[in-house]
Amino acid sequence: MYKLTGVSKLYQKGRRTVPAVRDLDLVIPGGEWLAVQGRTGHGKTTLLQLLGGLDRPTSGSVEFDGQDLARLPETQVTRVRADSFGFIFQTFNLVPTLSAAENVEAALIPLGTGRAERHRRVAAALESVGLGDRARHLPGELSGGQQQRVAIARALVKEPKVLLADEPTGNLDEATRDEIIALLEKLWRDLGLTLVLVTHDSSLACRAQRVGVMSKGRLTIRQEARRAPGGESPAEPG
Amino acid sequence: MFYVTYLRRELRRRMRQAIFIALGLALGVGLVVTVNAASAGVKKAQAAVLSSLYGVGTDVTVTGSSPGPPKTGRPPKNAQTFQVGPGGAQICSNGKCHSAAGQTVDNLGSQYNAINASEVAAVARLHGVSAAAGGLTLTDNQITLPKNFGQPGGSLPQPKGFNVDGVDIAHASLGPLSAGTIKSGHSFTAAEANSDVAVVDSGYAKANSLKVGSTITIDKTRFKVIGIVTQPQGGSPPDVYIPLERAQALGTGPGGSLKGKVNTIYVSAASAADIPAVQQEIKKLLPGDTVTTASSLASQVTGSLSSTAKLANDLGKWLSVLVLIAAFAVASLLTISAVSRRVREFGTLKALGWRSRRIVAQVLGESVTLGIIGGAVGVGLGFAGAALITRIAPKLSAIYATATGQRVETAGPGGSQSFTPTASHTVSVPLHATVTVGVIVLAVVLAVAGGLLAGTFGSWRIGRLRPAAALARVE
Repeated sequence: MYKLTGVSKLYQKGRRTVPAVRDLDLVIPGGEWLAVQGRTGHGKTTLLQLLGGLDRPTSGSVEFDGQDLARLPETQVTRVRADSFGFIFQTFNLVPTLSAAENVEAALIPLGTGRAERHRRVAAALESVGLGDRARHLPGELSGGQQQRVAIARALVKEPKVLLADEPTGNLDEATRDEIIALLEKLWRDLGLTLVLVTHDSSLACRAQRVGVMSKGRLTIRQEARRAPGGESPAEPG
Repeated sequence: MFYVTYLRRELRRRMRQAIFIALGLALGVGLVVTVNAASAGVKKAQAAVLSSLYGVGTDVTVTGSSPGPPKTGRPPKNAQTFQVGPGGAQICSNGKCHSAAGQTVDNLGSQYNAINASEVAAVARLHGVSAAAGGLTLTDNQITLPKNFGQPGGSLPQPKGFNVDGVDIAHASLGPLSAGTIKSGHSFTAAEANSDVAVVDSGYAKANSLKVGSTITIDKTRFKVIGIVTQPQGGSPPDVYIPLERAQALGTGPGGSLKGKVNTIYVSAASAADIPAVQQEIKKLLPGDTVTTASSLASQVTGSLSSTAKLANDLGKWLSVLVLIAAFAVASLLTISAVSRRVREFGTLKALGWRSRRIVAQVLGESVTLGIIGGAVGVGLGFAGAALITRIAPKLSAIYATATGQRVETAGPGGSQSFTPTASHTVSVPLHATVTVGVIVLAVVLAVAGGLLAGTFGSWRIGRLRPAAALARVE
């Protein structure tokens, strides 16, 4: 699925060059759940953006299904994003003027899906996250947990190959966080997605097959694959 | 459909700002419409004045030169002069004088030097000329001299006069009569070319209780009224029209009798493009005479009509351009500000796979919608402004000089002096500000252009921003 070779991403801050990701080599097989942990500012989000084609590396290659996202023209990267990637953000990033259903529908617009088909898939996606009765609500009328469920429905409605989640429980209370974790895990297991999840939350990370830690732009795999989709959850580390 | 829903929701979210932008554009567009309507109204008023002066189909007008300062010496043959001396006032003609006291003098005179009628045919033969007709623009003056005229306290009264136009019946489609509509009776027929018949302007007929069948005295000759004519509103038409031959027979000009003469030639050009060339050709042919086109005539008309035309063309135009620029600038700044607050939103859409041009189209759509709303409101404001101008604008006046044609000569111990009483003629023209289809189209184009401009300024950065950079933006 993913093969990253010698990936570096440097940012220019004034006269200083700050490396966000350094010489990263990584392979992510299809259907894997990879959790990425690390301190703030050590390159977790940058790695997720490189995987999602939201940014290009300064050097190295980011191969996805045999295509190097670092070198594809922007229109093709956009097309790959539309077809294959679902994003979940810490701050939900819902369009405030659109209803829950319209926010989910926005993900189908670039695919050119017909109106009736869009409505059918939106209703199914909202139903799958337990918000079938909140379709017409605006984001401002929903709780944080409900907004994140809408964001998950938006990420999943196009049936992506990869789900990229950046701190999906970072803005939620404990009870809601558990609901979202359970939902993500169920979806990963049921849909056979590749899930790359950036989180500070060890209780969430330890559910993944592999856990990597980003430190000063370098990724170290701390926990190797422990279970397959549909397998038993490991006991939380004491 | 999704596009429209998103657009509608976004505009509703920032309703106040949207109203502000639309109203700004509406104000600019409304001002443009109003100024254009006023300008069109002024042009219409000018056209009304000009067409009544020289007729509808006339492109170029030739008038005889103005007579120079009166010469002392022998007056022209048949000309009447007043001589005021120690023995009292006398009327003299062809060297014979008699007492003027209590006498009524009736004189049909021309304020311009005459042109030989043969020149009309010469003008008609010029390249680019489709037709030419001669005419005589005359003034009939009647002065009843007081019995003590010439004595202490016996001053010269103001002459009573009316304008008489000698019409070339063979070329009735040219000249002032061509602009009018016969209200009652009939116009001249070919058989009446040498008859004492007159067509009278409806205004003059009403003021003097004249109707078809009445008689009117011109230079001591009685003319039968055969028709009443109405000229377009706002003009200053001649009071009475008579056949050219009769006018030539009765009238006198600065050089004497007007037999075989005209003092005005009405010329119709083959096409509008020919007018400047025709004007030059005639100037070469008749170097001493005045050659006027409708546009040059318009520049000679003074008064509030002329001032309003200048105001509408200069101040109005610049004011509306300035307001439009201000409206465009405000719309652009507000759109940039609104878009800046939505960078993260657009970054999210890019992450969902929206192409930059779709996002730019969304922003442009919002701006153009505001432009269209602004344009529609602006057209409404323009109509209201035009109606207001029509309602409250005072009548415009067009002023041009006329001469009475009467020559008065005084003789005294200090030598003789002569003068021609002159008067300026004022025409009141109502201003009807008119909104044309062209102006409405212009308004819509301007409003949409304003919206596009604002949207382009707002969205060009978004189109180029990488999704990661947009998502990193802190709102």
